[in-house]
Amino acid sequence: MEQVNLTPAVLEIDFSEAQTRICRFIKEYVQNAGFKGIVLGLSGGVDSSTVAALSSLAIGGENVLGLIMPEKETFNQKDIDDAKTVAEIFHLETQVCDLTNVVEAFFKGIPAFDAQDRLCKGNIKARARMICLYYYANKHNRIVCGSSDKSETLMGYFTKWGDAAADIAPILDLYKTQVRKLALHLGLPKKLALRPSTPGLWPDQLAEVELEIKFETLDLILYGLERFISPLDIADQLGVEAALVEKVKRRWLSNEHKRRLPLPPKIGFRTVGNDFRLPRHNY
Amino acid sequence: MKNKIKLALCQISSKREDKETNLQKIEKQTLKAKQQGADLAIFPEMSLTGYVVLDQVYELAEPVPGPSVARIEALAKKTGMHVVYGMPELSEKTRGTIYNTAVLVGPKGFIGKYRKMYLPTHSVFEEKRYFRTGYEPAAFQTEIGNLGLTICYDVFFPEVFRLARLKGAQLIVCISASPAVRRGYFEILTAARALENTAFLAYVNLAGVEDGLQFWGGSRLVLPTGDVAAKAKYDLEDFVVCDVDFGDLKTAETFVPTLRDLRSELFDKLKTYSEQF
Repeated sequence: MEQVNLTPAVLEIDFSEAQTRICRFIKEYVQNAGFKGIVLGLSGGVDSSTVAALSSLAIGGENVLGLIMPEKETFNQKDIDDAKTVAEIFHLETQVCDLTNVVEAFFKGIPAFDAQDRLCKGNIKARARMICLYYYANKHNRIVCGSSDKSETLMGYFTKWGDAAADIAPILDLYKTQVRKLALHLGLPKKLALRPSTPGLWPDQLAEVELEIKFETLDLILYGLERFISPLDIADQLGVEAALVEKVKRRWLSNEHKRRLPLPPKIGFRTVGNDFRLPRHNY
Repeated sequence: MKNKIKLALCQISSKREDKETNLQKIEKQTLKAKQQGADLAIFPEMSLTGYVVLDQVYELAEPVPGPSVARIEALAKKTGMHVVYGMPELSEKTRGTIYNTAVLVGPKGFIGKYRKMYLPTHSVFEEKRYFRTGYEPAAFQTEIGNLGLTICYDVFFPEVFRLARLKGAQLIVCISASPAVRRGYFEILTAARALENTAFLAYVNLAGVEDGLQFWGGSRLVLPTGDVAAKAKYDLEDFVVCDVDFGDLKTAETFVPTLRDLRSELFDKLKTYSEQF
């Protein structure tokens, strides 16, 4: 039986076409919703840099505000410099919001706070960034533009109601390796496009270390799962252990709760998040 | 019957749930078509309401004929034009049964309708959730020729076009709401449907973005030879007037005589095997 040949070539897409489609999507949403522009978190990483570039190309850099949100524990001048480089290239405004005091107030204010639990602690940082982004969005009649990609979203590698919280998600249908190529296509510096990804929840945190897999391999596994190829076939084709593919599959499936609205019990005639289906244009 | 007609491919984007705005757009474009000498103005699938309306379709659907058809009838009478457009049709006999319908109106009023036979319910499409399938192929004899009506996903099913052709259609209109990821399929299939039936095929697609779904436009007139005679822009709203010369049918039908060569006994086999696979 013929099947998809899982080589890096399957992830090659027409990046000019992708750019056009994404920019049109962003522009249409902002215009039709009657907002004045976009606010987005600018971390210096490839995802947020790419989304910043696309937003700027779609609606003009003067309508895009990039928030740079460092905090003491994960502070890295290089991240800030990279974020500013992107802002310069694509002519967008930036604002630095130091969240150190904000997150420390949470640490102090939560009676059960456990400083050793770096995941719970780190999630506070991601959610603090979300609060800051939505403050600017409310205040200046902008939308929050998210920078989640397909690889991390399928893996549930994000903070629920934190970095994934946004009004639109322009690169959500692109795998990480595709985002890197789109970044290069858009003219982002190579060192920035190829920089190892980090959610920035604690010092020296690296996505590929935590996920225990290179994105080049992960993306092909996810691509195979997306197309209903069996884990055994995927493992066989990629020359990896079947257990690795099964692990990715389990992680993908078990994180569906992070990608959906809260689950309601069915009681009424039409139920929000279930069979209450409305178009998304009455903003 | 006219041997030569002009038609206008009115590739619009619709404002969702806003029939008044869309009717005004249809009126404006039809007047423009009239000014450019067109006999027929064609608008996309669900152009009255927008395509991604989900549950709101229960509020938007109307009988055909009905209030919106009456507006188009007045327009057609005023301009002397024929108009094809798409809308959700509420069954007259029930209160919650809806069809995805193409409507044909002429200078003398409502001519006919076609209820979409193949409702895509996969990927981003949920049509069977909302619509009942149609059963009747559509071909209507008019003052400007015999016009067949089809809708979008029907193009993947040659029998819908063949039925319209065998019923008499010489120009088959296919109105559509096709998103960009499917462009390649439609470009091939519209040419194939015209060529295999030796018929003119006018394909009119939506433009614009609805809930992240980007319609690719690319409306076109395909000749009975499969050649594309006129084409609208990709993705954006556009308006293209083009000519149909029904005299070309004789040449096409004799050069590639697919209709002469039809073998009806194979359709019995098709029925048998399509029930079994």
